[in-house]
Amino acid sequence: MFFVGGETVNTLSAQHLEQGRSQLLKISLMGLLTVLVSLVALGQGSSENLDMWTTVQIIFRDLTCPDGSLLFGSFGCGGDDLRSQIVWELRLPRVLMAIIGGIGLATAGALMQGCLGNPLVSPLTLGVASGAALGAALAIVVGFSITSIGAFAIAGNAFVFSLLVVFLIIQLGRYRSISAESYILVGIAITFIAGAIVSTLQFFATDAQLSQLAHWSFGSLSRPDITVVLGVAICIFALLPQAMMWSWDLNALAMGGDDFAISTGVNPSEIRRNILVLSALMTSVIIAFTGMIGFVGLAAPHMSRLIIGNDYRKLLPASAVCGAFLMVAADTIGRTLFAPIVIPVGIMLAVIGGPVFMYLLLQSKGVQR
Amino acid sequence: MTSLLQVQDLSFSWPGRTVLDDLNFNVESNQLVAVLGVNGAGKTTLLKCINRILSPSAGSINLRSKDVLEMTIMDVAKNVAYVPQSVGTNFPMNVFDVVLLGRRPHLQWFVGEEDRDKVSECLHFLDIDEFAFRRYDQLSGGERQRVVLAKALAQEPHLFLLDEPTSDLDLKHQITTMEKIRSVINDQSRPSSAIIAIHDIDIAAQFSDKIMLLHEGKIRAYGPPKEVLTPELIAEVFGVEAEIQAYSGLLRVVIHGALKNE
Repeated sequence: MFFVGGETVNTLSAQHLEQGRSQLLKISLMGLLTVLVSLVALGQGSSENLDMWTTVQIIFRDLTCPDGSLLFGSFGCGGDDLRSQIVWELRLPRVLMAIIGGIGLATAGALMQGCLGNPLVSPLTLGVASGAALGAALAIVVGFSITSIGAFAIAGNAFVFSLLVVFLIIQLGRYRSISAESYILVGIAITFIAGAIVSTLQFFATDAQLSQLAHWSFGSLSRPDITVVLGVAICIFALLPQAMMWSWDLNALAMGGDDFAISTGVNPSEIRRNILVLSALMTSVIIAFTGMIGFVGLAAPHMSRLIIGNDYRKLLPASAVCGAFLMVAADTIGRTLFAPIVIPVGIMLAVIGGPVFMYLLLQSKGVQR
Repeated sequence: MTSLLQVQDLSFSWPGRTVLDDLNFNVESNQLVAVLGVNGAGKTTLLKCINRILSPSAGSINLRSKDVLEMTIMDVAKNVAYVPQSVGTNFPMNVFDVVLLGRRPHLQWFVGEEDRDKVSECLHFLDIDEFAFRRYDQLSGGERQRVVLAKALAQEPHLFLLDEPTSDLDLKHQITTMEKIRSVINDQSRPSSAIIAIHDIDIAAQFSDKIMLLHEGKIRAYGPPKEVLTPELIAEVFGVEAEIQAYSGLLRVVIHGALKNE
């Protein structure tokens, strides 16, 4: 088409390739760090603290146990090892839930920030959380649950109500093609409405119900069932590839807004709708079981932006890894700091993550505007 | 010569206000058309309609004998590149990756060697390779403008829609950038044309094959600069008293002052 500047072109292309490699290296290092923290987390708890090496030995021994006893719920590979049972039964589900929750919430946060072009957005912005809270409150206080199956009464109701809120918002968006800002405003309005109903329910609730509701809203990872953890994991990992597929569209939208996106071949209202549904699904399937954990969905994407940059092809995996790291680290600190008292992860994240997040933002040369 | 772009009976209105009123025009292959008009004359709206950012209320747009209004957004992007007046962002990427977005319509997901080289080529061509790996938000307005133009070049479209591509550029870059756009359009091996909304009449006269005078949503005149740039038309459209001079083969419009409203 025009003059080709041979050498310069080669240098630029090589530099770009190099940039990509260094980004992947950074993500891998973050991943490695997360694995290490998880191994430490598996060793820590109120009953007995194991060092990382012992934990690795136990896991490796049980996994490679020739009789495959782990699959049948027997721990310690023949020998009756209490430590083995603690690691596998008590701590592993919790750490896994932290990892998956972190991955899901951070990815959802990055997705929503991008498709709404707004750095203030978190997975809870669009009223997903307030829908979940309403569902949980209804189940706890009124005893009304759409999924009235014992253990899942609260979680199921929270899930259904949070999706109901998203469905409502999406329908509004379909009815009148609304802008990114309007989505956020509608989300805030719904948050107020749902919050009012929850407050009303609290007004009529008994003390026991109030405490249960308060505990739910802290956001905690206490004693997750391993089948629940696996179920949530399947949901999240099934949705992640689709999120990656949309990373180009997110780049166009986040970089230049709607007009720029259209001239790049992206239909903004359609992709925005799809991404909102996807991230709402991710968020609600997690917070239904963990309660209100919001901060990781705001902070992990921003920390990753500082490390990796704003290219969603790299940012999504980086956010996922960063989210997992933050959740595991915060939960582990929460479990050990005042052991045997466990501080819910939602509180720990805000208390430790908040200042760290602010420090990082102020440190970076150009604060992300 | 075949027409690259045919626009017929094109109208656009916001509720209660008609912006474009029944426009009819063709753009030939390898031609540069400058659109002139006062603020609010409909220049940007025209570009946005052709690129499907806005939906026309009536009319048809044919590009290389295909109906643009029937195409998918992705197909439009393969054929048309739009450069807005300015692109602001909350999430700046680095310059190379911004320009790489121009390859989006042509690639699946993975970036090939060819895409990468195309981007490098465009950066080099527009003389912005020195800040290829700087962040977009750390550039000046004029530098940003050239980055977004590079993105459009990387898109390899048949039609460029440029909304005041030189408004933030210094004197030298105004000329070099227009020369480069001109050389891309002149490349006969590929049918490509440009429609440029612009305020600078002299630049329009110097670089365009045709000038379109938009006045109150209608085409007041459309033709070679010599025919369109007359004191009478300029007075009517812009409300200024002008004199046209020929200076070593170039047209120069000398403005003597604003006309008093009657």
